[in-house]
Order: sequence, then C-alpha cells, then structure tokens
Amino acid sequence: MVFGKTKLELKVGIFVSIGLAVFVIFILSIGGFKTWSSGYRINLRFNFVNGVKVGAPVRFAGVDVGEVKDVRLNFVPEDNCSRVNLNVWIKEDIKIPADSTVWVNTLGLLGEKYVEIMPGSDYASLLGEGQFLIGVDPLPMHQIFRNAENILHSLDEGLERINNKEGSLGKFIYDDAIYNELEALVADVRKNPWKLFIRTKERK
Amino acid sequence: MMFTLFFVDLGRKVLSFLYFLGGLASLAGQTVYFTFRPPYKYGRIIEQGKKAGYDSFPLVSLISLFIGFIFALQTAYFMQRIGSEMYIASMVALSIVRELGPVITALVVAGRVGASNTAEIGSMQVTEQIDALETLAANPVKYLVVPRFVALGVMLPVLTLYANIIGILGSYLICVVKLGITSSMYMHVTFSALLYKDLFTGLFKSWIFGMLIALISCYEGFNVEGGAAGVGRATTRSVVFTFIMIIAADCVFTALFYFIFP
Amino acid sequence: MIEIIGLHKKFNNATVLDGLSLNIEKGQTCVIIGRSGCGKSVLLKHIVGLLKPDSGKVLVDRKEVGVLDEAELDSLRSKISMVFQGGALFDSMNVAENVGFSLIEYTRLGYKEIMNRVEESLSLVGLGGIGNLMPAELSGGMKKRVALARAICIRPEVILYDEPTTGIDPIAADSINSLIRSLHDKLKVTSIVVTHDMKSAYHIADKIAMMYKGRIVIEGSPREIRESHNPVVHQFINGLAKGPITEAVDTFK
Repeated sequence: MVFGKTKLELKVGIFVSIGLAVFVIFILSIGGFKTWSSGYRINLRFNFVNGVKVGAPVRFAGVDVGEVKDVRLNFVPEDNCSRVNLNVWIKEDIKIPADSTVWVNTLGLLGEKYVEIMPGSDYASLLGEGQFLIGVDPLPMHQIFRNAENILHSLDEGLERINNKEGSLGKFIYDDAIYNELEALVADVRKNPWKLFIRTKERK
Repeated sequence: MMFTLFFVDLGRKVLSFLYFLGGLASLAGQTVYFTFRPPYKYGRIIEQGKKAGYDSFPLVSLISLFIGFIFALQTAYFMQRIGSEMYIASMVALSIVRELGPVITALVVAGRVGASNTAEIGSMQVTEQIDALETLAANPVKYLVVPRFVALGVMLPVLTLYANIIGILGSYLICVVKLGITSSMYMHVTFSALLYKDLFTGLFKSWIFGMLIALISCYEGFNVEGGAAGVGRATTRSVVFTFIMIIAADCVFTALFYFIFP
Repeated sequence: MIEIIGLHKKFNNATVLDGLSLNIEKGQTCVIIGRSGCGKSVLLKHIVGLLKPDSGKVLVDRKEVGVLDEAELDSLRSKISMVFQGGALFDSMNVAENVGFSLIEYTRLGYKEIMNRVEESLSLVGLGGIGNLMPAELSGGMKKRVALARAICIRPEVILYDEPTTGIDPIAADSINSLIRSLHDKLKVTSIVVTHDMKSAYHIADKIAMMYKGRIVIEGSPREIRESHNPVVHQFINGLAKGPITEAVDTFK
C-alpha cells in the first residue's frame, strides 16, 4: 500500500536478515574458522610428492594442524635435478622440532594424499616462519614393485633348492627316513604307553 | 504433404522462439537501464520482495525438506552396499548446495511467483491498465518490471540459502535418526566436503534464475492478447518457458563452472 | 492546440488510419463519432503518444508527439490525461491511491495535501468519501467516474475520453455528460470524446467529427452534422441498419 505504514518492511527485513545469518553460518562452517586464525609458514623439500595438491591437510603426530598452500617445482642446477617445494601453513601454537621427519602419506580408501610430520625430539630448536625441512621421499610405485621383485627372486631361489632336496628343509620334506622313524616311534608308544612317563628316568 | 507441413510448423516455432528471445533481450535491456535510473522507489521492491521471498518461504522449505529426506535415502541405498554411509553427508551437501537447492527453489518460485506475475500484468494489459500507467507518465517497465526484477534477483538467492540449509537438515534427520551416523560426524563430513566455490556458484545460478523468472513472466504478461483466455494462455507459456530457460541456463552455467573452476 | 496531419497506421496489414487530419482548438470539446472498431481509440492513443504513427504527425502545442524523447513525453503527459473505456483503474490499489497516483508518484506533496486533492477530484465527479473502497467493489458507472476523477486530479489542459458513456445506464451516462460539460465550462479544458452515443455527442460537443474508413468524412457543429446530407453520416446518426456503411463493410471483406 502506498498510504500508511504496514508491517511489510519488517517481514521482508526479518526474512532477509535470517537469510544473511544462514549465509554467514555457511561461510564460517565451510571455512572452519581457518581463515581467521593465525599461523606461520614453513617450506618442505621433496624429490617426489606423489601428487599432493594445494589444500591437502598437514598432520603433526597424527593431528591436523595445517594445510599445503603452494606446490612448486624448482630445477636445482648444482645437483642437476628437480626439487618440489611445498609451502605449508601451520597453526600458530604448534611447535615443530627441526629434527622431525616429514613424508607424504595416503589417507583412506579414496587415496587422498596428505603431509605427515613425525615429531622429533629436539624441542630446543623449533621451526619458524619460512624455514626449511627436508622431506623423506615416499617410495614411488615402480620402486615398490622393484623391491617386491627382489623379494620374489630370493624366495624363488630358496624354493628351487628345496625342490632339489638341498638343505635341511629340502631333506625334511623329501627324505622318507624321518617319516619311517616317526612311524616306528608312534607304534612303539602305542604299544608301551608307560615308556612316555619313565623314559627320562631310564635315560638318566 | 505431411512432411512439408511439419517443416512449416517447425519453422514457425523457431521463428516465434526467435521473436521471444529478441523481445526478452530488449525487455532485459530496458529493465537494467531503468533499474539504475533514478528515482528509486523502494516501496514496490519491498512489496514484491514479500511476495517473492517471504510468501514463498513455507513452500520452498517444505519441498527442500522432502528433497533432503529423499536424497539421503536414495544415496544411502547405494552407499550402504559399498559400506560408505559416512559419505552420504558429503554427497547430499554437494548436490543440494551446487544443484538441487538453486534449481528446485527456482522452479517452485517460477510456478508460484512467475505465474502470478504473468497473470497480474496480463490482466492489467487486457484492461488497459498498462496504457493508463503510461498516460499517467509511469513507465510500465520501471513501474512493474523493475521491482519484480530486483526483488526476485535478491530473494531467490536468499530462498536458496534457506533451501540449502533445510535440505541438509532433512538429510541430517534421516542419517542421524535412521542410519545411526553421529550428529557431529555428519556436520563434519558435510562441511568438509563443501568449498566456497560450491556455495557461490549455486547462489550465482539462483541470482540468474531469479532475473530470468522476472523477465520472462513480465514479458509474457505484456504480450497478452485476447482477454481472459489470453491471460490463461500467457500464464501457461510463461511457466513453460521459465522452466525451459531455467534448466537450459542451469546446464550452461554448470558446464561453464565445471570448465572455468575445475 | 491539437493538430493531426495525414496520420497513417496499419496493424498486421489492416489499415486503421488512412491519412486522417483533424484540428482541435483550445478549450473546445470535440466529439469523434464512428462505428465500433473503426480506429477511434487508436487515434486517441496516438494523441497521447501510446502508439507511434507509420506516417503523418500529431502536434500538441506545436510539438510533434511521435518524436518526443522520454522527458518531453512525461511533460506532455502531465498536461494530457486519458479516461479509458473500462476505467482501467489499478485494481491493486484503493480508489484514493488510484486518483492520487500521479501526485504520489511524481510530486513531493505531503499526505494531507494529496488527500485534499483526491477528495476534491472525487467530489467533482460526485463520489466524495469512497476513497477507501477497492475498484472491484465499484459498479461500472462508478469506475468510469473514478477514472474521470483520476484524469482531472493532475489538472490537465486536455482530457481524452474513450467511450465515456458506453455500457452504463442512461442516468449515469447523463451525469457523466453533464460532468464533461461542466469540466469544459469550469476548468476550460480541451476535450476529445470518442463515442458512438449520439445523444451524448449532441449534448457535449462544440464540434463533431465523423470517422469512416480511417479518415474524417465530415466535421462541424452538432447542428451541421444533424442537417448533413452525406449518406454515410445520415445512416450513422440515425442508426439505420441499411445504408452505405453496412454495404461498404460487406464489400470491404
């Protein structure tokens, strides 16, 4: 209505302001307050990161304490190789000893990658803003396969020797002598069960 | 003979669709122009805002609650088979915030508010009220379209936010009460699955949908011919075209966002 | 005051106005008669700028209506008001808001002053004190009178009436006629009335013009029209079923 005030404005106002509140709740919940809490950044150097992406979680002693902010590949001329530099954001109150071990780990069924930091013991020297930590490289898949292959090779060799009746295991499996002896023993015991109890005495 | 007729008919349909698009674009241009041209009249925007937002709220929330129930149950059916009930929450949250919230809200509002806009403006056209407005030096676009355009553009994202939260609540009820997922676990999985871009692309789409609803419904209203029957026809056309345009725009923007923000 | 020169207008290949010319002096009441659907309303819409002519021009105060920009058109429309056939009241507003529409929208007058103007206009048409009713609650005749009140509320120089007496009872029609007459006498407004009600035409006109086939076939004082020997005019004013108009329509199709 053009003349006279109604409660129209009030209704629409309440409606929109609750809407805004919902919006703020969404924003805060999605962000998880992360954006507003303070922290510091450290750099981690790897030769291989197995596909860690920006936003991947960082765990210290198994607890989420930060996230990967930047992944950058640098060529290092003096070593003639490429290095990966992960820029990582860590919450303010987390103290990371300089001798901690860092590696890239895989989470759960879906294979999400994250950065695992195993705390060291040297709490006298802590990592500060912008400092470096050299990461332990995760084993690339082909390396794992190569190791498995070596293991298989050794196993194979052993089995072959067993098949050839070599070594004690081979003899044990393939020599009938032990079996015959055992059979005689069992027959003897069945016949004279008392031998089981006094044998020790007799032998002495 | 039948064949030729078919093509003649098809050609006519294509031609009328082109007329529709052209008219819609020209109305959109005028509407944007008058939106930013003083004088600004907030009263009518508030009035339309109440119709579009406040009055649609019960219907939108009821429907999105049911959508939440249904979606949780349907997702659970498969997720239980592969033993990942935990991920129901993230599936539901992503689908509702990215897609179902904006689209369902837009369709409900198109049916409710769009149809009433067309009927109202159409009957004003039939009874010469639009001409009367013009002779009283009130531009019909400024007077009738701009308030609806602004109100729907603002209210549809707001309604979508409500629909999102209520849809998630519906799925929460199913998961927590029926499927035995703990409450804090559900909330954690929901909000860790969502990103800002999911929320913002959803809201952006609903803003576009709001403007589309306003423009198409007003356009059809202005183009009413032939009395009460004409108003009826125009209302049907308005709802049909709005639905088509909403789904088409949704398809375009979803594809766009998929490629722009992967 | 108003000059119409060689106006042409077509709708979907049907010619409605075919080189129509007409002159209306200031303060004059001109009644345009003609059959229903012969384009009288279209003519009015050209004068107020709702329709643009295909060719020809309409001059109001020596300004061409068809080429005015938006601001000039607004100022034109603050001088001309139009009373529509069905009233065309805004049915989402009550009577007072309808009558005061222009004042509420385009002036900075206070609530009290607007209400005074509204009440004044309403009592001029004999409907004082119905400001709070909604248009749906009014009868046809009352709607027309409220529409008239809305038209005079902005104190225009020109009022265009589109069939003001059609579809209402003879008593109400007569009161509207005397209203138009008294507005002309009291407020000195220029009026153009489109009608096919001859009784009304004789009652209010200073000048009568008859439209036929998109042109003015005759114009003159009521007496001249009544005594005209033009067969078309003769058929129309006497309301005869047989004559040149009906024959022409048959051949027209």
